[in-house]
Amino acid sequence: MFRQDYMLRRLYVKGEVSNCKYHTSGHIYFSLKDESGTLSCVMFAGKRGGLAFSMKDGQQVTVLGTIDVYGRDGKYELYAEQILQEGSGLLYEKFLKTKAELAERGMFAQEYKKPVPSYCFRIGVVTAPTGAAVHDIQSISARRNPYVQLILCPVLVQGAGAAESISAGIRRMAQQNVDVIIVGRGGGSIEDLWAFNEETVAQAIFESPVPVISAVGHETDTTIADYTADLRAPTPSAAAELAVFDYREFQDALSSFMHRYQYDMKNALLAGRERAGRYEKRLMSLSPESQLRMKQQYLDRLEDDLRRNMEDRVSLSIRSLTETAGRMHGMILERIRSAEYRYGMIAEKYSGISPLRRLRQGFVYTELDSGKALKSIHQVKKQDELMIHVTDGTVTAEVTAVEEVIYDGKEE
Amino acid sequence: MKLEDLFKKLEDTAQKLENGEQSLEDSFSLYHDGMSMIKACRDKIDTVEKKMQILDEEGGSHEF
Repeated sequence: MFRQDYMLRRLYVKGEVSNCKYHTSGHIYFSLKDESGTLSCVMFAGKRGGLAFSMKDGQQVTVLGTIDVYGRDGKYELYAEQILQEGSGLLYEKFLKTKAELAERGMFAQEYKKPVPSYCFRIGVVTAPTGAAVHDIQSISARRNPYVQLILCPVLVQGAGAAESISAGIRRMAQQNVDVIIVGRGGGSIEDLWAFNEETVAQAIFESPVPVISAVGHETDTTIADYTADLRAPTPSAAAELAVFDYREFQDALSSFMHRYQYDMKNALLAGRERAGRYEKRLMSLSPESQLRMKQQYLDRLEDDLRRNMEDRVSLSIRSLTETAGRMHGMILERIRSAEYRYGMIAEKYSGISPLRRLRQGFVYTELDSGKALKSIHQVKKQDELMIHVTDGTVTAEVTAVEEVIYDGKEE
Repeated sequence: MKLEDLFKKLEDTAQKLENGEQSLEDSFSLYHDGMSMIKACRDKIDTVEKKMQILDEEGGSHEF
């Protein structure tokens, strides 16, 4: 119903801002109130272009938007398209008009934007010689890189003639052989910043052969100069950060390149050395000297093998000889033992007729001088010497008498 | 040559050196190129601390 109603689709509501919240999503939630009541409002992130100032509680504003019912609570809500600050409404209208015109002329077009060099040595600054902006730029520049030359063109940044002063400053600076120009000023009200919304400033920025960084007011302030500049910095400090390259980072980058080169070269050398080493080994293995050495080694090995084989054979033979000898010895011993055994048996058998036994029973063995056994009286005569053997020795005797005895013919 | 270009060449040269397809001789000459570019970069910076200059009405300038 509301969306079809032309009146409700395009509505101006005037009131005081309260509960203003800039949500991280980019949406802005706030309420408008007056003596009679309160209305919830939302400005979606996509509509932020319709807000040219930093909205705060307590401000009197006029909101252009659409009324609709917010589903969940069934509440009326105002979806803001544009928010104008009371009192600056006229200026704001003018801002929108200029912006539309310049956009129409293509002055904000991306294709005309010149890149800001990464390494600027001479940096032009077009701003007031007093105030926060020049001081901020100077201190940040000195901190990041004291070797960068800043050149200031002092200009009027607010009040009558400011726009002309700024555009003249930009033109003058463009002839100073600088790498980049920072144009801007510190924060202030929309009236204070107004010069940067003037067409003449935009024109000077657009025509500058040197890239221009705009740095007007605070983050939330966006001027025509910002749209026209080659690069928009949210603040003068930020502009200095963008324009002045950090000397330490620069040196670090160079050092890291140097280390990288040294490391790479070392690797290349190592790889080269390894490659050379491989070739050297191959070459050396092909040299006559090493061939000779290899043959020599082969020969030595053969000799060793031969010697070892010989030794093995000899020791094998010795072992088998020893074994045979041992076996033969055993066999002989066996023979001897069996012969002894047999002899023992025979000896036992004949021991009964052993002369030794007879001797032990008192019989003697008598020997003549000639060594013969005495068997008959006819072998001796008186005074012959006789040797009488007994079991424990020999007796020498002399024949004193010989007498024949006749036995009855029978021997014992 | 501008510093931007020198840095770009430094990067290109380092990558060539790193891809391992160079002969030892080429590696040497890349290494020397890189080193002399690093020196050229350093030489680009006139290490004299600068004071801010201010342009005056007559078209000249003086220290701020």
